[in-house]
Amino acid sequence: MNEQATDERLRWALRGLRQNRQPEHDLWPGIAARIAAESTRPARGAHPRRHWAPLALAASLLLAVGVVWQTLPPPPATQADANPVRREAHAMTREYDAALREIQLSSPQPEAARMASLPELHELDRSAAQIRTALRRDPGARFLLDRLRHTYTLRLALTQRAVLG
Amino acid sequence: MLTATVTAAWTDDNRTDAVPDEGEHALVRNAVRGDMAAFESLYRRHAGRVHGVIARLVGYHGARAEDLTQDAFVRAWQALPGYRFESAFSTWLHRLAVNTALMDLRARRSRPQADADEDALEHVGTQDSAGHATALSLDLERAVATLPPRARAVLVLYDVEGWKHEEIAESLGMAVGSSKAQLHRARHLLRARLGDTP
Repeated sequence: MNEQATDERLRWALRGLRQNRQPEHDLWPGIAARIAAESTRPARGAHPRRHWAPLALAASLLLAVGVVWQTLPPPPATQADANPVRREAHAMTREYDAALREIQLSSPQPEAARMASLPELHELDRSAAQIRTALRRDPGARFLLDRLRHTYTLRLALTQRAVLG
Repeated sequence: MLTATVTAAWTDDNRTDAVPDEGEHALVRNAVRGDMAAFESLYRRHAGRVHGVIARLVGYHGARAEDLTQDAFVRAWQALPGYRFESAFSTWLHRLAVNTALMDLRARRSRPQADADEDALEHVGTQDSAGHATALSLDLERAVATLPPRARAVLVLYDVEGWKHEEIAESLGMAVGSSKAQLHRARHLLRARLGDTP
């Protein structure tokens, strides 16, 4: 009887463990990179709209830029821009531009023209520009860097979706 | 008898805890069609729940739980074209997350039993979703983390997640009787670790 009561107490306490627990790190960049990499492999019943080679490249590069930045020692102070956040933003923007160019070059001319007129893409471009401006004003704000990465990833995904129809 | 009644109530309650809304339906529909942005929104909505159940199953080992959470979402993306809207997305995802953790548990069984349970203790008691951990839940988490992996899995699935023995047995590839025996063992060990046994 006593054991049964103890058991009940224990079980009530165990139910209290059923709580959400956010990961300590944002896992999305890694998930996006892995999904994008998966989509470039030969299909095994894969959905045809999920062939996102440029996005795979872009996502991997954006992720790699972040990882490399975190593991490399600080560069010499003589470098043009010694602020690490701004340096990372510049590197990320370069990779993004390259991936975007790759998508645009691989799409037919009418598609490229249609994409250029999509309001949601303009909106994302505007957001990215605002984030870059904010980063210039406040180069210590790492959350802006995450926001920029997110915006670039989204922009590439939407562009790719527009290309694939 | 009392035990059976309480279990059934908990199980039913458990299965209806995530009521899908229209916004979620739209996100899932778009994600099924290959919309990565929609899938990211689903990740943001469900990361805490998925990571929570995986963390419990792996004994609160932080890095391993995060790796498996990432695996679960990648697997979810791959499996999405087959999602038929017959159950709530959160239920489908929860089941997939549990299976991801159990697959890892099975894979680890073939390796030396050193496991990382000792390390797990270091990660126990990180803040919960309310931003704090009570002393009681901290003790309990620590005790759960020290259980043998299979006994812990059965205990977590039955007592915390509200699964039935039949479901646990199927997922862990064991007999229903073994699931019951593992639960009994896990509770006994837990009581002993908490100093509750006479």
